[in-house]
Amino acid sequence: MNDEVGGKQRRARFQALCQSLRPDLLRFAFWLSRDRALAEDVVQESMLRAWKAQDALLDEKAAKPWLLTIIRREYARTFERKRLPTVDVDELVAKEEPMLAAAEEQHIVELRAALMKLPDEYREPLVLQVLMGFSTAEIALEMGLSGPAVLTRLHRARRQLRAACGEDTSLDPQE
Amino acid sequence: MMDHNHYRSAVLADPHASDAELRAHLESCAECRAFTEQLLRFESRLERALRVKIPATAHVLPFERKAAAAAQGPWRWPAMAASVLLGLVVAGGVWLTLPQRSLAADVVAHMAGEPDAWKRTEVPVPDPALNAVLQQSKVRLKPGAGVVSYASSCDFRGHKVPHLVVQTPSGPVTVMVLVHEAVRTSMRFDEQGYRGTIVPVPGHGSIAVLMRDSESTGGDISRIAAQVDDAIVWTR
Repeated sequence: MNDEVGGKQRRARFQALCQSLRPDLLRFAFWLSRDRALAEDVVQESMLRAWKAQDALLDEKAAKPWLLTIIRREYARTFERKRLPTVDVDELVAKEEPMLAAAEEQHIVELRAALMKLPDEYREPLVLQVLMGFSTAEIALEMGLSGPAVLTRLHRARRQLRAACGEDTSLDPQE
Repeated sequence: MMDHNHYRSAVLADPHASDAELRAHLESCAECRAFTEQLLRFESRLERALRVKIPATAHVLPFERKAAAAAQGPWRWPAMAASVLLGLVVAGGVWLTLPQRSLAADVVAHMAGEPDAWKRTEVPVPDPALNAVLQQSKVRLKPGAGVVSYASSCDFRGHKVPHLVVQTPSGPVTVMVLVHEAVRTSMRFDEQGYRGTIVPVPGHGSIAVLMRDSESTGGDISRIAAQVDDAIVWTR
């Protein structure tokens, strides 16, 4: 009886945890895939996997990186399963226009379009750092990179974005 | 000795990095200060750009649906009977209670009624006025908790609660001390242009801490909430 009550409470806690992290997980999946529908599928499937494997999560504070890892793997699996076709970035931007344009200011819309065009290897660490609050060491661990490699990618990501958005880059460092 | 190139490369990789060497260079170099300020403005826009709106169709967790499906199966008929009974009870009792909205939704809804509270200002609320608001909930703030630019005793879910705005390096942060609202675990939310968290305070209900997306400069809301929690002293 106690086990049953404990199990219910544990499941309720896990559900609340997933619910609170869900918006950021969806945003992460969206920037990973640059496709809203695919992002929703990936997160749904990842949540089911997480639900089945919730006993593996020993510390709730580690839930965010744990769920992110599941999402990254699920996204990679989707790629393998579906052999997603290569698409033109401008087409992607046009397709996701309603989501990207849901901002009050034009410069945010432009920045989103520039983010869509940023190469995956730069966009992903940037999203992990800025949106998910990951440290350089955590990004390195998640992406299987060295710390200096992560810093180089973050540096290049911001350089490219700033240039694409017409920012003054005259003070930018030489590479 | 750090040079401009090294400094700017480091802050381009992480605009919030602030080790001793970077700080020392920043203090001594006006050009790099200008570069950093420009970069932090860009960073604020970047964070807002990444926080795309989440479609309303994507709010049901898949295992909630599975749990609902599992309730059917061998228990289908008893479940249907129970649901009919429940329906009668709900129908009979509907006039007794209003629909329950989530605590986070109510906190966000409360914000809409007080837009002036969000002004960026360094003018603090006078101590007597602040203390009058805080004493109602038997709390006080530690010295150095930050500039409290707004303090009001607000009606919230049938109780008077302190509603404060604290000016932080990450922008204005609203704090609501919810003595009557106990929560089991921390809940983060991101609704209608506000992001925040409601954290449990054992024995004292909970605290809601939230920021406007448009004014956030990238501060981590959980960290800010922990600082707020630490600055509050409960006097009962």
